[in-house]
Amino acid sequence: MIKTVDISDMKISDNENDILVTYSLGSCVGVTLYDPEENIGSLIHCMLPLSKVDRDKARKNPYMFVDTGLTKMLQEMYDRGAKRKNIVAKLAGGAKLLDKKNIFNVGERNIVVVRKILWKNDILIKGMDVGGSKSRTVRLYMENGKTTVRNKGEENEL
Amino acid sequence: MINKRDEIIKKLDSIQSIPATVSKIYKLLKQRDELDFKELVRMIEYDPALTTNILKYANSAYYGFKYKITSLHQALIRIGMDKIFDIVIAASIGPVLKQSVKGYDLPRGKLWEHSVGVAIGAEQLAKILKINAPGYLFTAGLLIDIGKIVLGSFVDVNAQPIVKLAFEKHIPFDVAERRVLGIDHTEVGAMLLKKWGIPDEIVEVERWHHQPDRFEGDKTVVDLVHAADTLTMIAGVGGYGTDGLNYRPSSEVSTRLGLTRTINEKVIAEIIGNIEKVYEMLTI
Repeated sequence: MIKTVDISDMKISDNENDILVTYSLGSCVGVTLYDPEENIGSLIHCMLPLSKVDRDKARKNPYMFVDTGLTKMLQEMYDRGAKRKNIVAKLAGGAKLLDKKNIFNVGERNIVVVRKILWKNDILIKGMDVGGSKSRTVRLYMENGKTTVRNKGEENEL
Repeated sequence: MINKRDEIIKKLDSIQSIPATVSKIYKLLKQRDELDFKELVRMIEYDPALTTNILKYANSAYYGFKYKITSLHQALIRIGMDKIFDIVIAASIGPVLKQSVKGYDLPRGKLWEHSVGVAIGAEQLAKILKINAPGYLFTAGLLIDIGKIVLGSFVDVNAQPIVKLAFEKHIPFDVAERRVLGIDHTEVGAMLLKKWGIPDEIVEVERWHHQPDRFEGDKTVVDLVHAADTLTMIAGVGGYGTDGLNYRPSSEVSTRLGLTRTINEKVIAEIIGNIEKVYEMLTI
């Protein structure tokens, strides 16, 4: 089954027939976590780096922010039986406008916070496609953990 | 041979006008000080969908009113004239903005989603910055991409050369439109709104939202809408068409408004946090 991850959303699966997908990653960041041994995978679509900007919204929806969202996602993975040492992470997104002066650097900051949290949790980043001015679609195929990024009709494996 | 610019402008004549009751209501609302309130109520009552929508708006969670209102008369007093204008515009132009836009590769509903995001963003930004913005701010935000409907749907221009130029040379999409077509979606959109009798203040915002520094009037609303458009694009609300994120935000707008990282991120959170409520409010 195809499970769509909306903006500020996360989906987790242990069903090999599932495909997790998120569309329209601009400055937002999409992260997939996958444990090949337990066959548990998840995909998150976060909009902003840090929850301190709006604690109230973070309480209502932790997946809006990278710090609260990714932490909760990791917890859900462990609760389902995933092992830290097995989990591989892939990420995509963090684009920006034609913003030479870098006034609106939300995308860049999203990526920085993802890397920081994964590093703290000792999770390996195995692939990424970030930055630039393009929008991306990310898919996680649960049958084998394949993660792809699609832009303008071209789908590439991460 | 006529050039593309003339061809596109000529096509504007064949675009349907907005419903007659709507333009009559505009005219009534424009009288402001001498507004004939009874006549306004009567006009709105003629249109059951509009009546329903005004009641829904008056009781909407977005504006957080406490007591439920059931009469049109009370609703009009509660929400005020500027907001009635928002609803009339949303009701009349909303259906146009909801269609798919082939030329920009936007599925049905996506342009509308983006437009609602911009309208919320502009309003929330004004609130956070404590700017006392004019009442038409929301509507101006809602209408900014009407020109994309003209180019991408009514005229059905060939987008390929524009996309190629924009992405290969890394130039903003509106600049690429001007180079290829001799006109961009802001100018053609402004022409359409003017033709529909939309007030000049709103037409100006449509016209200059990608080039706010060139606008010579009071820049408050155009700056707010430009920033809100940028933040809505960053958030990915409404997805991305062929133009993607290929626009250049103005650093002058940031300076004029005093935008900071925290403010920008707060507004993005507000856009996503409120969008469902506003959809609900604007859906007939």
